[in-house]
Amino acid sequence: MNAGASVALVVDDSLVNRKLLARHLASLEIDAREASNGREALDALGADGSGVDIVLLDIEMPELDGYETLAAIKGDEALRHIPVIMISAVEELDSVVRCIEMGATDYLPKPFNPAILEARVRASLAGKRLHDLEVESAARQADLLKTIERQKDELSRFLSPQVAALVSSAEGEQLLAGHRRIATTMFCDLRGFTPFSEAAEPEEVLGVLREYHRAMGELIVEHGGTLEHFAGDGMMVFFNDPVLQEDHVERAVRMAIEMRNRFDVLAAEWATRGHDLGFGVGIATGYATLGRIGFEGRYDYGMVGTAVITAARLSSAAAPGQILLSPRTYAAVQGQFDVEELGELQLKGFSRPITPVNVLAARVPAAAAASAAGDVFAEGA
Amino acid sequence: MNLDGTPVLDHGVLADLRAATGDDDAFVIELVEAYVTEGATNLEGILAAAAAGDPAAIVRPAHTLKSSSASLGAMRLAAICRAIEEAGREGRADSLGADADLVQETWGATLEAFSEAGLRG
Repeated sequence: MNAGASVALVVDDSLVNRKLLARHLASLEIDAREASNGREALDALGADGSGVDIVLLDIEMPELDGYETLAAIKGDEALRHIPVIMISAVEELDSVVRCIEMGATDYLPKPFNPAILEARVRASLAGKRLHDLEVESAARQADLLKTIERQKDELSRFLSPQVAALVSSAEGEQLLAGHRRIATTMFCDLRGFTPFSEAAEPEEVLGVLREYHRAMGELIVEHGGTLEHFAGDGMMVFFNDPVLQEDHVERAVRMAIEMRNRFDVLAAEWATRGHDLGFGVGIATGYATLGRIGFEGRYDYGMVGTAVITAARLSSAAAPGQILLSPRTYAAVQGQFDVEELGELQLKGFSRPITPVNVLAARVPAAAAASAAGDVFAEGA
Repeated sequence: MNLDGTPVLDHGVLADLRAATGDDDAFVIELVEAYVTEGATNLEGILAAAAAGDPAAIVRPAHTLKSSSASLGAMRLAAICRAIEEAGREGRADSLGADADLVQETWGATLEAFSEAGLRG
């Protein structure tokens, strides 16, 4: 018995033929097992082939003949990949044709010619090995896919869905490496949160934050925003990246209005518990650099650009209930929303004042507005 | 049955066999020994089926003996067994008795030929 050698099952009712074949196979370093009829052959194969790599099968045999045995092997999901070479006398060639139609790989004429035996057995074994490799590689691939799916699933709990999808997509690496694109950024946070968190019990603070995050999180997903981060009561969400959104400005403004509405409901509830909290939003649009930001061991998908700073500063400047749009943002959605002019505003760190507007309400529902959506910033970089 | 020119033992087949096994005479002798043991059983089967006038029962032993005989160059016995196998398949019972006699006679001649060739230990 050779370790790692191929194993052939020789099925023939003639002891002489079995011995002869086993001898020829041994010279090819193939271990032979013997069966004197089809019944014994199927027993030897068992449920899973029992390590047999090839079957040499006689046609005329007692108990269970070659046809029946071949049909049983080829009809069994776990055995059908094992190549079967029919052993046949010259006068049985018609039978051989039938066997090949039934799934036999080849045939071996009697009396045995060692050279033909070697060629046919080797060819069939090569086919079997290829099949085994394919099965193995398919199993490995399935495992890998499962792992990737699990990681993606796990990832999507920590990242926004868009970024999670990006990480596992084909163009992901390129986008993660950094790219410039026009995008709309929204900052929001709670007014009065600091005094509230100082005065209230930590459990109470966490409870309020949880309700707030859950409500806002739903709206972010609903509008297709990419959540860059949240820190305490503050959130930064951007649009048009990594997924391109023709209507990114409108999406941001509509989401902010719905956030404010949702917030009002929450705030009324909190007010009954004595908490006085407000909600302020800043939105700005402009070119930014997006991609992987951070250091080895901890990276975020982030955004860098003047518009980000503008949105943050507008959010800080917003009074409770205000949604402040930068002039460029407003220009893209003008006519779709009722706004109030606020005059010039000097934002911290900016050399020149800007003139933001405060959004009061949407003029038309989102569906009706869709067709008329401004395409001022239709395409990214 | 025309057996003219069909040798009891085809020495060409035996020579090929020897060559294929690297002139391992011990193995060829072992093979002949297996043939004799197994052949005796098949012969019994053929004789019993003939005595019972059962053509269907003669098919298997005749087939196996044909196959083993051909592998070792016992061509005359192989040819006879082949004819008997065919007759059995066709359900012909008329020639069973004569066939059985011929098989038995040729079996003896075959064993003798193996002995003469120095292949019976």
